[in-house]
Amino acid sequence: MIYLIEDIINGILMGSIYGLTALGLTVIFGVLKVINFAHGSLLMVGMYVAYWIITATGIHPYIALFIAAPIMFFFGYYLQDIIIKPIFKAEKNVREPITVIIVTTGLWYILDNLTLLIFGPQYRSIQDNALKGAMLEIGEIFISVPKLCGAITAVITALAIYLFFQKTKTGRAVRATSIDRETASLMGINQYKIYNIAFGIGTAAAGIAAVTLVPFYNIFPTVGVLFDIKGFIIVVLGGLGSILGAMLGGIIIGLIESVGPQFMSSTWTEAIVYGLFLLVLFIKPSGLFGIKQDW
Amino acid sequence: MIEKKSIKFLFAAVLAFMLAFGISAPLKAEDTTVKIGNIIPLSGPSASLGEQGKYAREMAVKEINDAGGIKSLGGAKLEMAYADSESKPEKGVSEAERLINTEKVNILTGCWNSAVTYPVTAVAEKYGTPFVVPVSVSDKITEQGFKTVFRIAAKDSWWTRDQFAFLKDMEKEFNGPVKKLAFVYENGDWGQGFAQQWKKLAEKGGYEVVLDEPYPSSATDLSPVVQKIKRSGAEVLMLVSNAADAILLTNTLADYKVKLKAIIASGGGHADPSFIKATGNNALKYFDIVEWETDINKPGAKEANEKYNKLYKQNLTGEAVDAYLAVYVIKDALERAGSLEPAKIKEALAATSLKDGPGMIVGYPSVEFDETGQNKNAALVMIQINDIGNGPERISVWPKEARRKGYTPVFPMK
Amino acid sequence: MTKEKINKTALILFLFIAFTIPLFVRSATYLHILILLYFYAYLTTSWNLVGGFAGVLPLGHSVFVGIGAYTSTILSLQYGISPWIGMIAGAFIALILGVIIALPTLKMRGAYFALATIAFGEGIRVMVENINNIGPLNINGPRGIQIPPTNTGFFNFMFAGKEPYYYIILIMLILVLTLTFLISRSKLGYYLNAGGEEPEAAMALGINVAKARLTAMAISSFLTALAGTFYAQFTLYIHPKSVFSLDLSFEIAFIALIGGRGSVAGPIIGALLLRPVSDLSRIYFGSHLPGLHLIIFGAVLILVMLYQPRGLQEPLSRIYNRIIEKKILKTDK
Repeated sequence: MIYLIEDIINGILMGSIYGLTALGLTVIFGVLKVINFAHGSLLMVGMYVAYWIITATGIHPYIALFIAAPIMFFFGYYLQDIIIKPIFKAEKNVREPITVIIVTTGLWYILDNLTLLIFGPQYRSIQDNALKGAMLEIGEIFISVPKLCGAITAVITALAIYLFFQKTKTGRAVRATSIDRETASLMGINQYKIYNIAFGIGTAAAGIAAVTLVPFYNIFPTVGVLFDIKGFIIVVLGGLGSILGAMLGGIIIGLIESVGPQFMSSTWTEAIVYGLFLLVLFIKPSGLFGIKQDW
Repeated sequence: MIEKKSIKFLFAAVLAFMLAFGISAPLKAEDTTVKIGNIIPLSGPSASLGEQGKYAREMAVKEINDAGGIKSLGGAKLEMAYADSESKPEKGVSEAERLINTEKVNILTGCWNSAVTYPVTAVAEKYGTPFVVPVSVSDKITEQGFKTVFRIAAKDSWWTRDQFAFLKDMEKEFNGPVKKLAFVYENGDWGQGFAQQWKKLAEKGGYEVVLDEPYPSSATDLSPVVQKIKRSGAEVLMLVSNAADAILLTNTLADYKVKLKAIIASGGGHADPSFIKATGNNALKYFDIVEWETDINKPGAKEANEKYNKLYKQNLTGEAVDAYLAVYVIKDALERAGSLEPAKIKEALAATSLKDGPGMIVGYPSVEFDETGQNKNAALVMIQINDIGNGPERISVWPKEARRKGYTPVFPMK
Repeated sequence: MTKEKINKTALILFLFIAFTIPLFVRSATYLHILILLYFYAYLTTSWNLVGGFAGVLPLGHSVFVGIGAYTSTILSLQYGISPWIGMIAGAFIALILGVIIALPTLKMRGAYFALATIAFGEGIRVMVENINNIGPLNINGPRGIQIPPTNTGFFNFMFAGKEPYYYIILIMLILVLTLTFLISRSKLGYYLNAGGEEPEAAMALGINVAKARLTAMAISSFLTALAGTFYAQFTLYIHPKSVFSLDLSFEIAFIALIGGRGSVAGPIIGALLLRPVSDLSRIYFGSHLPGLHLIIFGAVLILVMLYQPRGLQEPLSRIYNRIIEKKILKTDK
């Protein structure tokens, strides 16, 4: 019983971080209506950025967050502006342009391998950070502090993005575009600038996820791939475009991965995740909770 | 406007097509070079290991060429052709075909990933090209009846055999009997191969296997596996891991304060140069079985490592040393063959008895191949990661004659 | 000379060149590259029936390659059944699986369909990696199966040289191209096309879009599996991470999109561009600048999508037509 509680806690914490890694994916999908296959690579770039900030200055990882997130925002903003925007312009009349998927896949190859070319294949991790290896021990239950911090950050980030879309003028413009881009542009909203902002927010969210991972995870050029497919599954489970859905989807995956192995070999939990994913797609394609875009 | 663009694309397509055929004329090799084709993973998930293999080969080739090349071939120089397998068997096979047919290599080496080496052996056999395998541990590589394959490293049944022999010796030396074993391994060709042998050996040795757990090396969270280890009540944990998962597993085991008598790893990820850096003190007291260690008591080893470290900013690993040695084994065979005819080279390789020279910095006295092409003397050394004043380092502990002077292994750990 | 005649002559010339290439390209390396080029063109053409004509984006077609490869290999290694028979058996298994996948997914649109097919592909790969035996069948989990290269001969679908493989895949490619050509001109092709562009409108016209798509998926999975057997017999080693891999599924889709989805010539054009780019850049840069070849591959994808989002087939056929009209037809008059 105590074991089960421990596993559930770990599953919820790790799952929230998964949710955070998928948050950007869901925001970008909500506005641009495309799946960003480069999302894992953006996460990887964020991890390298966080790594260099922390090792160069020696600051606490969570202070680095306030530097890494803006850097990632502008990285995403200009990535969309320079590379993806022209394709949207060329494909104005297509509702869900498949070409953009291909372009993001191209970006994925380029980012991952550029990192390999520049930084080499070595595995890096930050040794002396305040959070490394910190554990809360409550009786027999172990709770990882960096994961706990990550989960809290995930919730705060999700809330912050939600509030940004609800309360600010720019946020409302983003929302308007995501709901009906034609009407929004008739109202004088610059559709492509909104895309840039949405992509920037999505990338910044990946950057925040990266900072929460860095204290306990290692960094290498292909690290993003590990989170990529997981992200897709999470956003579909929760309902594509939904912020709450991404968090809940993440937690479900986290729970399956954490509790599942106690009853079977951990290689089988992967299969269960895919199975559940397909089941949801067949029975409730709008996601487990039927949440439509909620912001 | 569109027309112009289209023409550009047509041009590009035609150019690409022409490239595909136009360059089919092989680069004209001078008659005084021996061409060696090397298939290694330079990008993709095992890129770190491919890089080590490439560095080690480069160092050996430079030494040999600087010393006058292959004397029996009139001072022929060694020329390396590298090909990237991306750790994918089908890419490895394509590259082997290309290296043999287009680059006209005289000898092939590679491929680190057993899953790549395995199908490449069939290609080498088909064309009769001698294929020297520095490291790829899967037993089956030399068990296909092929006459072209020669492996320097020990095969996985020897690795597992030595891991159990080591464990028995430790139990005796420190009078600490062990009963319960846990096997945790990456779910791939390599891990599955080891696990299969472990299960047999555990049964023979009278151990109880309390956990037999494959995990996907793409796992993003290994704490569920660590929890399983902790709850299994295992005394000794045996591991096969790639680099990313080895680091994650080590740090997570430390986080959860899992108490074990010993952790015995199988090289690979645990021997990666970035492993100690990325795990810090968490890897202390780990045992790891490898082909070679920097503190080996063998003339020339220290110098070779210093040179390598100066050139590439990392220590030699077992993988790198086998690649380094492989080039010297090839050189020795070429000297004796005195010809570039594949049959002659194969004959010379089969008759190898390399006892000295810069390449022989390994722990065993000589390289000799048995009839399957397996280096029959290949020996392994068990190391322990520990901090004896200079930060965490890898210290040879087993077999006893290889143990670093003045060091007593810590068993049980804690 | 009419335009039709010129087209026919060009086609015959093309076929003639294709059939005589092994006579003057003696290098096994380049034959190998060509064989893989045809193999990918074949896969993409099969994919195109669903991904091109039906207007959805399947990203899990490697499942059918894997089914084809594993079925024929297991039947021939364990029961001594010729891979030629195993090839057909695998294709039928793939067909059934294709229908099972298609029934629930083809109703989805856009992103959902793409993600669902990815999940199917990956899910089946994970299962294959976790299973060593299905009843008496030994599928060997993550370790894959090596086919001993000993029994060459037509019955065993195994040859010492590259030439037989070259002709087999070339003929397979020609057959599949003919088939898609016929389908694109048939009622089914018309239904697919209509349903791909405006499913609602097509349904309003009384076209059973779902049925047309299901048929396309069945044919597509059947054809894809045939190539799986070819791949197994050609490389003589299969394992889940190669024949069931996401990379393979992606590459098939890329070739189609770069070449021009929904057209008969698209897959050929796409394969002609992407395969050499990926092979040659790996050969020339793979050893000293690790990863650069994949950067180039990514850049080519982006550039083509940027300048020719409908694929290369459109501008190329326009140029072809213009050359014919201006240069040949004019002088003929």
